[in-house]
Amino acid sequence: MPAALVINHLTKSFANVAAVQDVSFEVERGAIFGLLGPNGAGKTTTIRMIMDILKPDSGQIQILDHAPGLGREKIGYLPEERGLYRGLRVLDTLVYFGELKGLTTARARARALDLLKRVELDDRARAKVQELSRGMQQKLQLAATIIHQPDLVILDEPFQGLDPVNVDLIRRLIRELRDEGKTIILSAHEMHLVETLCERIALINRGRIVLNGDLAAIKRQFSPNALEVAPLIGVGGRPGVAKAEPVLNGDGRPRGERITLEAGVTPQVFLKQLVDEGAPLERFEIASVPLDEIFVRVVTGKA
Amino acid sequence: MFGMTRKTWTIARHEYLVNVKRGGFIFATLLIPALGLIGVIIAAFFGGQTVSFLDEQFSGATQDVGVIDRSGLFATLSADDATSFVLYTDEATAQAALLDGRLAGYIIVPSDFATGGAPRAFVRGEGGLSSTIALESGRLKRFLIRGLLTTQVDPVRLDQVERLLQDDLNPVALDSNGKPTTADADAIFSAGAGFIISFAVALLLFISIFTSAGYLLRSVGEEKENRVMEVVLSSVTAADLLAGKVIGLGALGLTQVGVWLLSGVLITGGLGALAAAATAALNPGILALALAYFILGYLMFGTLMATAGSLGTSMRESQQIAGIFSFMAAIPWMINGLVFANPNFIVARVLSWFPLTAPMMMMIRLPHGDIPVEDIVISLVGLVITVPVVVWGGAKIFRTSLLMYGKRMSVKEIWTTLRAA
Repeated sequence: MPAALVINHLTKSFANVAAVQDVSFEVERGAIFGLLGPNGAGKTTTIRMIMDILKPDSGQIQILDHAPGLGREKIGYLPEERGLYRGLRVLDTLVYFGELKGLTTARARARALDLLKRVELDDRARAKVQELSRGMQQKLQLAATIIHQPDLVILDEPFQGLDPVNVDLIRRLIRELRDEGKTIILSAHEMHLVETLCERIALINRGRIVLNGDLAAIKRQFSPNALEVAPLIGVGGRPGVAKAEPVLNGDGRPRGERITLEAGVTPQVFLKQLVDEGAPLERFEIASVPLDEIFVRVVTGKA
Repeated sequence: MFGMTRKTWTIARHEYLVNVKRGGFIFATLLIPALGLIGVIIAAFFGGQTVSFLDEQFSGATQDVGVIDRSGLFATLSADDATSFVLYTDEATAQAALLDGRLAGYIIVPSDFATGGAPRAFVRGEGGLSSTIALESGRLKRFLIRGLLTTQVDPVRLDQVERLLQDDLNPVALDSNGKPTTADADAIFSAGAGFIISFAVALLLFISIFTSAGYLLRSVGEEKENRVMEVVLSSVTAADLLAGKVIGLGALGLTQVGVWLLSGVLITGGLGALAAAATAALNPGILALALAYFILGYLMFGTLMATAGSLGTSMRESQQIAGIFSFMAAIPWMINGLVFANPNFIVARVLSWFPLTAPMMMMIRLPHGDIPVEDIVISLVGLVITVPVVVWGGAKIFRTSLLMYGKRMSVKEIWTTLRAA
């Protein structure tokens, strides 16, 4: 099946500032894809070009087998700069956005009532938008984004300003969309949430792609030949071990050992060694670096 | 030009329905008729023109005028004169009748009236409108003239003098070839009424253009401030959005002017009937041209206002930018007085050729009639060329500037956007 989104050598400048430079990546259908990067990296500009709100200077975009601007009805977009008609009622807001996406009034209304239940706003259907809390408005915006049951959903900072309960609700909703076969592009700064949701990511910094691929593979790439074992055995100085250091609990007591193997020594061989020696192993796992650490290392140039 | 899609109409309907229910719109729409109603009531009480109204208010108060004749010219009264005038032999009796309220006033015709003496009139200090009307009426003057001349001139000549005093001159209007444009007095009346109505239509269309353009400016400015633009632009094109707003808010402006017009007809009653009669005399050619200028003018100014709304970083800034265009449109109204004197003077003609002033200038000139055909052609062709360019360029700038928050597009950026489009 062709990818939901294919971007090739995309470039866009404003005045003399290169906002996006030679950006290429693909998003598979049915996946949750993380488009990450620091503020001002070029994520929103890239998304606006995908949505045909901005025209690229060069490069190609293929979205759901179409050029940008065609098939808007199959795409749902929650922009970072988002707002609502403050004087409009909640239900009317959803119906209007549904109609703009090509639904009939009756269909938009039925979908709106269903979605209001899903985002737990059904009791506020008659309220005016300005009477809603910020979190409620954000849930309403998300409902408006998916009212037309799009095949591809682009969410730019969907968790911004939400309390943990609503973060969990939105996370659940994103997973439900994925389970329904939708493709989701998620741009967010909450790396722990990205880690729990995304299978693949692309990291943009200063307009360029600096990381792109399977998230698990990227994490392994940032901790090559690293293992974590428990309890602390003391393997330092053994053949094949390049480095070993204790991993401490919050109270300063060791809870395990972080080991870096020499090149050419596989974790499997090392595990067999330990088992053969009868080491009292409780835990043996390939170590990975948290995504926010990778993010900081890449963006600050310490990777 | 605007591409009309189903979404354009969805936006137009949304803009209309949301704004027609706004408190500000309802207030502004009802304020003008309310002021008109108050004005009519005040005029009815203090204006003094409505005789029937005064008759009602002063029912019981006499309109009779006493006459103390010392000239001998008014020894007897005709049956007709006797309904309005009462002869008195001495001033004391007439004065008593006046003070009792049986007379609206009295006059003393001096003995030398036939040789140049002037009559003297008397009213009560608080006699008010009733006395003033009775003594200032043409009827009293005709009564005095008839008395003065009856023995001096033949009856035919006397009738002629009275008609001159009573009737208007009914001028015959000539066209540029010196031929009468109207055949009779009724037609002349219709032509005059037609001018007033044409002018009123032009004025209303002008008000409608700027009422709607004002709504456009505010609507775009608010959506930009509310950050709702990007959500909308992910569903529709900038051209759809612009077209939907221009149509929806244009209909809103027309609704407002329609309500004002209807209430004007209802409030003025008789004047409304006059207007209806005069509408029949309204030149259909002028009306068709006025509508053409209205549509082209609205498309141009509507787009310019929406673009101005998108350019500003706040409503106040947007209004300042829009002020430039409003000023352009107001120039023709500033020289309105000169156009009345000569609708074809050169400044008016030049302003008719310039697209930004053409719709207003032509709408002001058209009711005068006899406008050179080349002025109509040049202004229409200019607008037909300019309007699509403005709409095209406006949509490009609109699309780019809508997403610039907290930063206004520079002139250089506007130029770059237009060139890149």
